[in-house]
Amino acid sequence: MAIIRAETLSKTYRVADKQPGLAGTLRHFVQRRHRDVAAVKGVSFTIEAGEMVGFLGPNGAGKTTTLKMLSGLIHPSGGMAEVAGHLPQRRQADFLRQITLVMGQKQQLIWDLPPLDSLRVNAAVYGLDDATARRRIAELADMLELGEELTRPVRKLSLGQRMKAELLAALLHQPAVLFLDEPTLGLDINAQARVRAFLADYNRRHGATVLLTSHYLADITALCPRVLLIHEGGLFHDGSLRELSSRLAPCRLVRLELEEPRPAAAFVSYGEVEACDGRDVRLLVERERLTEVVARLLADLEVRDLEVSDPPIEELIGRLFRQGAVT
Amino acid sequence: MATPGLTALGMKGLLRYWRTLKRFWGSALASQMEYQVNLLIEVLAMAGNLAGSLLLLWLIYGRGQQLGGWSLDAALVVLGIYTLLDGVSSTLLRPNLGAIVTQVQQGTLDFVLLKPIDSQFWLSTRTLSPWGLPEIVTGLGLAIWAALRAGARPGVATLLGGALMLLSSVVILYSLWFVLATTSIWFVKTWNVTEVLRAALSAGRYPISAYPAGLRTLFTVVLPVAFLTTVPAEAILGRASGMWLLLSVAVATASLLFSRWFWRLALRDYTSASS
Amino acid sequence: MRVWRQGDAPRRKRSLGQLVWGLGRRLHHGWRVARALFSSQYALMLEYRAETALWALSGILPFIMLGIWSQLAVPPAGLGPGSGADAGGIGLDQVQLSRYFLCAFVARQFSVAWVVYAFEEDALQGRLSPYLLQPLQPLWRYVAAHLAEQLTRLPFVVLIAAVFFLLQPAALWIPSPARIVATVLAIWLAFSINFLMQSCIAILCFWSERASALERLLFIPYLFLSGLVAPLQVFPPALRAAAHWTPFPYMVAFPAQLLAGGAVPIAASFAAMVGWISLLLPITLLLWRAGVRRYSAMGA
Repeated sequence: MAIIRAETLSKTYRVADKQPGLAGTLRHFVQRRHRDVAAVKGVSFTIEAGEMVGFLGPNGAGKTTTLKMLSGLIHPSGGMAEVAGHLPQRRQADFLRQITLVMGQKQQLIWDLPPLDSLRVNAAVYGLDDATARRRIAELADMLELGEELTRPVRKLSLGQRMKAELLAALLHQPAVLFLDEPTLGLDINAQARVRAFLADYNRRHGATVLLTSHYLADITALCPRVLLIHEGGLFHDGSLRELSSRLAPCRLVRLELEEPRPAAAFVSYGEVEACDGRDVRLLVERERLTEVVARLLADLEVRDLEVSDPPIEELIGRLFRQGAVT
Repeated sequence: MATPGLTALGMKGLLRYWRTLKRFWGSALASQMEYQVNLLIEVLAMAGNLAGSLLLLWLIYGRGQQLGGWSLDAALVVLGIYTLLDGVSSTLLRPNLGAIVTQVQQGTLDFVLLKPIDSQFWLSTRTLSPWGLPEIVTGLGLAIWAALRAGARPGVATLLGGALMLLSSVVILYSLWFVLATTSIWFVKTWNVTEVLRAALSAGRYPISAYPAGLRTLFTVVLPVAFLTTVPAEAILGRASGMWLLLSVAVATASLLFSRWFWRLALRDYTSASS
Repeated sequence: MRVWRQGDAPRRKRSLGQLVWGLGRRLHHGWRVARALFSSQYALMLEYRAETALWALSGILPFIMLGIWSQLAVPPAGLGPGSGADAGGIGLDQVQLSRYFLCAFVARQFSVAWVVYAFEEDALQGRLSPYLLQPLQPLWRYVAAHLAEQLTRLPFVVLIAAVFFLLQPAALWIPSPARIVATVLAIWLAFSINFLMQSCIAILCFWSERASALERLLFIPYLFLSGLVAPLQVFPPALRAAAHWTPFPYMVAFPAQLLAGGAVPIAASFAAMVGWISLLLPITLLLWRAGVRRYSAMGA
């Protein structure tokens, strides 16, 4: 049974339009102009209980807005969402007990106190009795490798320790659905890996459904068999990462090592210049033109080495986003 | 009698809120204990403010003048209640309601809204600053001492009336403040709204009849300053009419209900406007 | 405006022409910095205009106090002030009181300083370190912000004064141009005193997180001794004399009486204000240097 259902979910914001500088400020002061911005445009998908789904998209694509609509923080302007059998925006207590939202750039723990104090507050709010709360804290602390950090003031914790404590606070009530917005933001590689391992472990143990956004593709590749790619407010892809890459890559990556350094402008006629560092050049070339372009490159330039490969998925997605920004 | 099931549910719910409140204040006290120097500052500020207010009263009464027909002792009851309310503000209202703007700005209000607990309850009781307590005690002491000097006769009716009026005045002050803090959902930058409120409420240091007719109407009808200090003082002095007592309770109830309605209204907009 | 430029610190002998040219360049540079600072701060303050309007409105205390003192004013049908006929009265009639408190309101509006709060916020948010790296004494940034905020405040103050005169048409008067010029000068000096006192407290943020609490304490004598809640004439002579040993009466009462047309010792008051500034300025600068030294010692 689908635990998350979104049907033509949309959200439009009204934003003030202001030109920079003093003149713009004054004009805005006298006459306010507004503009409607569609953050999410008719997105539909369903997620089964226990799935781990990655949410991809550039900044401002509508990832966070979608997560907030699913968790009930903002009302959709169109379409509808259903999570765990509830309409999220009603925010009924029964619904709230089943979900959690973790935001990498915001924190709920009390700054001046050890995490344990915030956890005790959360336990009371969710109506957990002391024995249950203690048992869950012990279990989660064990999974997150948190020990004496729980009794140290939050302000004295490192970013990674703080994030792990935030996760503990967010999962104390054992929610069935986890919305994670950039949970690894700003963490170093080791801490990222630990958070990832924890999430996979948690999903295995409790069968929780996880919907995760991240800037780090590594989070998604490690955790999510299924990926939703949002681009300019619309759903661009719903499926596995592999499918996404074959769909995005009518291109191949051509790596050149030249005898003489050349400027980037010299390669525009061959393909899209990924990088040009004097003698080392990387080009994205459409698949159909590959043989022709390689032949021309070898004929036109003094090439020391040439290598053709599949471009990494990051670059493909980045390329898609850049094109989106141009058109 | 309600049905047993409903009562049990209500009791369980109440118990959860009570346990939550204990945790809230327990953790708040724990974090405040790191800042004992605040106690000194609060006590000094209170002493300074009281001394200044007494100086003003002395400037007036020392000339043989009276404020709106109130004797010096009766006016001191008003000042005592003002001090008490100021203490309540420093203890509960300012730390909690002042934080709402910050929560809206930093987006941590999201966490509150996602908790299965009444969000107005959370925002209004989340923390507690014990350093305002001396002000509450001093204010109450001053009010009682001055009332006795002014010839008030303590009796059950006076005590009950006074307590009820004080409760009403705290409720009115809370509701006003909460409504103003709520506006930050629409206009994020509204720290100063509460400053305007505080400035206007400082009129409550003196009995309402000390003001010219225009201001008196303003402070009774538009801004219920009269209900904050003058009416409770009259009750403590044992000279409040039943009509005023009733009116005060009515205003308190209405403003509390209004604050709840207003918060719900604001949330509907927050949930459809914030990113 | 003092601007520190790297590279021209050690001075060797230069010709007069070079000196003049250098001075001109520095002045020009200072002017450009001042203009850029002011206009960017003004744009910022316009963004906060609703806040500023509310803040202007939160200065209504003088009007509330006017309500209290009005009851004790000399009745309009009575004898003029100074005749001594109003035993127990305050020697001011309704119109004089109205004008005084309106002027006190205006003086307060344009001498408000909030550098403690801005500085504390900047220190907490970590904005201070980049400011310290710029070749400009950071306090100038706050001066520009205050001046810009005063300009934003101006229309709201005019509006409040207009409403006041609508309600009290009898109090309307036109001060003489000389008085207006003197008042503007007095208010700016009052602002300077306020700004310097607050800066000293703000700089204490380098040592303690709780420095802004001191500002709360300092505000109390300011409130009662500055003339904001009562004209100083009603103080008993000994208390009035004592108050004049503090800077507070010069910050509201003096500019207010100047504008309202009262008899005040103008030269002596200006001298006292300049005296306070020349006392506070070196203290502020010394504290600043010590504070920055401590800040860098603590690892910024």
